[in-house]
Amino acid sequence: MRHITGRTVIAVIVGLAGVWTLWPIYWMLSTALKTQQESTTVTPTLWPHVLTGANFSELFSPAIPFWTYFGNSMLTSVLAAVVAVLVSTLAGYGFSRGGFRLSGASSLAVLATQMLPLVVLIGPLYLLLLRAHLLNTYLGLIIGYTTFAIPFGSWMMKGFFDAIPREIEESARVDGYNRLGVLFRVVVPLSVPGLLTTGVFVFMNTWNNLLYPLTLVSTNSRQTLPPGLLQSFSGTFKTDWGGMMAASLITSLPLIIAFFLVQRSMVRGLTAGALAGT
Amino acid sequence: MTAPALVILAVVIGYPIVDAVIVSFSNYSLLYPAHSFVGASNYHVLVHDPLFWESLRNTLIFTGASVALGMAAGLVLALALERLTGRWRFIRAVLLTPWAVPVIVVAFLFEFMFTNPGGITNALLEDLHIIHSPVPWLTSPGWAMVSVITANVWTQAPFFLLIFTAALAGVPDTVIEAARIDRAGTWSMITHIKLPYLRTAATVGAVLMIIQNFNNFPLIYAMTGGGPANATSTLVVYVYELAFTTFKLGYASAIGVIWLVILLVIVSVFVRLLRSRLS
Repeated sequence: MRHITGRTVIAVIVGLAGVWTLWPIYWMLSTALKTQQESTTVTPTLWPHVLTGANFSELFSPAIPFWTYFGNSMLTSVLAAVVAVLVSTLAGYGFSRGGFRLSGASSLAVLATQMLPLVVLIGPLYLLLLRAHLLNTYLGLIIGYTTFAIPFGSWMMKGFFDAIPREIEESARVDGYNRLGVLFRVVVPLSVPGLLTTGVFVFMNTWNNLLYPLTLVSTNSRQTLPPGLLQSFSGTFKTDWGGMMAASLITSLPLIIAFFLVQRSMVRGLTAGALAGT
Repeated sequence: MTAPALVILAVVIGYPIVDAVIVSFSNYSLLYPAHSFVGASNYHVLVHDPLFWESLRNTLIFTGASVALGMAAGLVLALALERLTGRWRFIRAVLLTPWAVPVIVVAFLFEFMFTNPGGITNALLEDLHIIHSPVPWLTSPGWAMVSVITANVWTQAPFFLLIFTAALAGVPDTVIEAARIDRAGTWSMITHIKLPYLRTAATVGAVLMIIQNFNNFPLIYAMTGGGPANATSTLVVYVYELAFTTFKLGYASAIGVIWLVILLVIVSVFVRLLRSRLS
């Protein structure tokens, strides 16, 4: 009897969580498939009475340069992820093997100083890019992204490297590899899930970043999705909920796919650095 | 090998922080390149700036409520889903999805659901007779904060589910077996055996999310723009407005520096807690 009540409680909790989780996603999908007229009625319909793809084809119209934003987001996010992973690999390996005591609570403190300053960074970064004539360029934006991605990336990579036994490296050194040789021929091949996870994490963060492109880019043709969408669906298009939801749906796909690719190692990446020493 | 790493970190993090501190003692404006040092006057202005205090209060409410609610939901779900096996494991994956939805999309989606008139939230609540007249979700100061926190918890609770699930998997089977032999009930099993193993994960998760929510610009800026009447204006939104709408970079940096100090205090309290529990 007790067993049955326990199961019922769990079923109720999971059911409620499922509705809470899926309802907004269902609403996005169903609105994207409604006609303009149906999605703006005062009493919303629970499902599309007339199915239409018009909201998606609107994204190809010149009114909203959706695919330009999408391309810019993809280009800058992927490049920022690649650069950040390269640098973080070197830095994370240094932290892991360099004899630093960065375990447990002290590594949390490092994390804190690393993740604080996004909006504090933006002022100095703006001036730096202004002086270097890199405002309004992909390169400037990628530099901006990497400033916040590298510290956290290094922290994640350190956690992954800590899990690789040193004995493996020692035998490689006996075979005559130097430090960098050991890193790239022995350690990196063993850390592919870690590299991927860090890369996806950086990609997710840059794909979400509104502040940097909003401040560092003012040319519409170089703009990324978050500020671009914000601009497109304010003012005259403010009540184009169908178009907004169609754009939202496509904007979500790369992140959801990337996340589920590395979902398992994501937890380790986010917590390994802090949990390792404890 | 460590030296280049330290140099890189010093450049990407150290330089902007030092620069921000220096700029905070000047009247730097993005409009006029010429600037002079004004001592601590930015900090004097800040103490008497009602908008600064309101933004700080909003930041603490937004962050505190989001982290507490997200953590509670994540914990309950992690415990409820713990024994899912085989084909039922997809449920956990489904419940994790909101974390991978872009923040700008979360903002659009909840703005649309909370819009009035025409929003689905009011329509459903009225149909279910939970409310009798439409709630002004985004246009009244109190409800606007509730709305942004709701959207935030939706997308962040899965993060806590993720780390608590991992931590629960780390509870040794022998400990669970021993408790079972002692005939521990479900409730005492959770409170006496499992929760102590989740402390570290809870601390790490809370620290990460506190930092992230202090920095949470896209959700609030896209959903309410800090309004109505600054009711949802957090520090990050206020600093952005100062630096890039009124171009007062010196003053914005001063707030940034104070904010950095506040966060450091909060995080070090958490680290202290973690340390004292471990020893």
